[in-house]
Amino acid sequence: MKAWQRYVIVMALGLVGGAAFAVHQVRGGLNDGLVPNGPWETGKSFGTVDARALTRAKVALSGLMALPAKEAMYFTASRDSNGRKLDGRCSYDVRGGTLDGRWWSVTLYEGEGWLVKNAANRWSVAASAVKADAQGRWAFTVSPDAQAGNWLPTGSAKAFDLTLRLYHPSPEVIANPEKAKLPVIERKGCA
Amino acid sequence: MMRRWIFPILAGGLVALGAYQSTLLATPYALMYAALQKIGGDGASNRFVFSKMATADNQPIVRPSPDLSYSTCVFDLSKGPVLVDVTPVPGRYWSVSIFDARTDVAAVRSDRDTKGAPARLALIKQGQMAPAGYEPVLLRYDRGLALVRILLANPSEFPAVDAIRRKSTCKQV
Repeated sequence: MKAWQRYVIVMALGLVGGAAFAVHQVRGGLNDGLVPNGPWETGKSFGTVDARALTRAKVALSGLMALPAKEAMYFTASRDSNGRKLDGRCSYDVRGGTLDGRWWSVTLYEGEGWLVKNAANRWSVAASAVKADAQGRWAFTVSPDAQAGNWLPTGSAKAFDLTLRLYHPSPEVIANPEKAKLPVIERKGCA
Repeated sequence: MMRRWIFPILAGGLVALGAYQSTLLATPYALMYAALQKIGGDGASNRFVFSKMATADNQPIVRPSPDLSYSTCVFDLSKGPVLVDVTPVPGRYWSVSIFDARTDVAAVRSDRDTKGAPARLALIKQGQMAPAGYEPVLLRYDRGLALVRILLANPSEFPAVDAIRRKSTCKQV
């Protein structure tokens, strides 16, 4: 084999391999390498010029038009509080207390961030929808089957993630999202 | 034998690094371009499009919130500044955010920032002037997106909110 042929082969492999690895990393989901908090993960630089190239590319793919942290924070969970992947055939209790921001909602997505078809036409649970007790504690159920109380359907999704939006988060949450008090996600059982 | 491959492999590694970084850098531009084409596909720049609430059958952008009403304006500054006037919806969260072609937020103003007053933004490039009464927002690219979010406590509020949000305008000077 001639020298130029060796260069062409290896450089072509490098070109394809480098691009493919970048695509693989970008498609790895919104969560990789970000700030963890229990089952949730978030980033501090969404939507800003400070974002690293990989973070910006991931957000563009999975959360285009995300707002910067002073306006809203996005916490995403693809696993329950015990570290198991969220499974559309399973039921989960999501339990939390007062969240340190102006308003919140939890939305269920599949794939790169798409609402899931379901018979109840329900895709999120917002702060205004839950009944908190005297201590501010609230809960709702994520399940493929209809549940009493607040219920977020998984529809036909095999895998899903939950995104907690916290609008106008407090300065403490913005500075230390890893310390924010966020809901737990507890698996109850699977079909 | 192996010696012959050392320099080609080094060159291939450099090409791989370049391809990796180029792909990462190009991704936001490509996805934003696709989003602008989708949202403003009929060529309607510099005017608001008032979307229906997001559902599983209506998802104009990835990871939409079904609790927010979205109004979008694909802007183009190539022929002059674009003015964005947002009519406030009393007693609820709303915001207007300006995204550039790289997906970065150039500005965001909410009801908290304006204390309930209208938001009046002039989207300009270097060398363009904002008219009096408008807050200038300097952009590095001609094209981008203005996005108004309004929070609904429940879907039955949509007709009332829709009537108010349609008073907002996005127009070229």
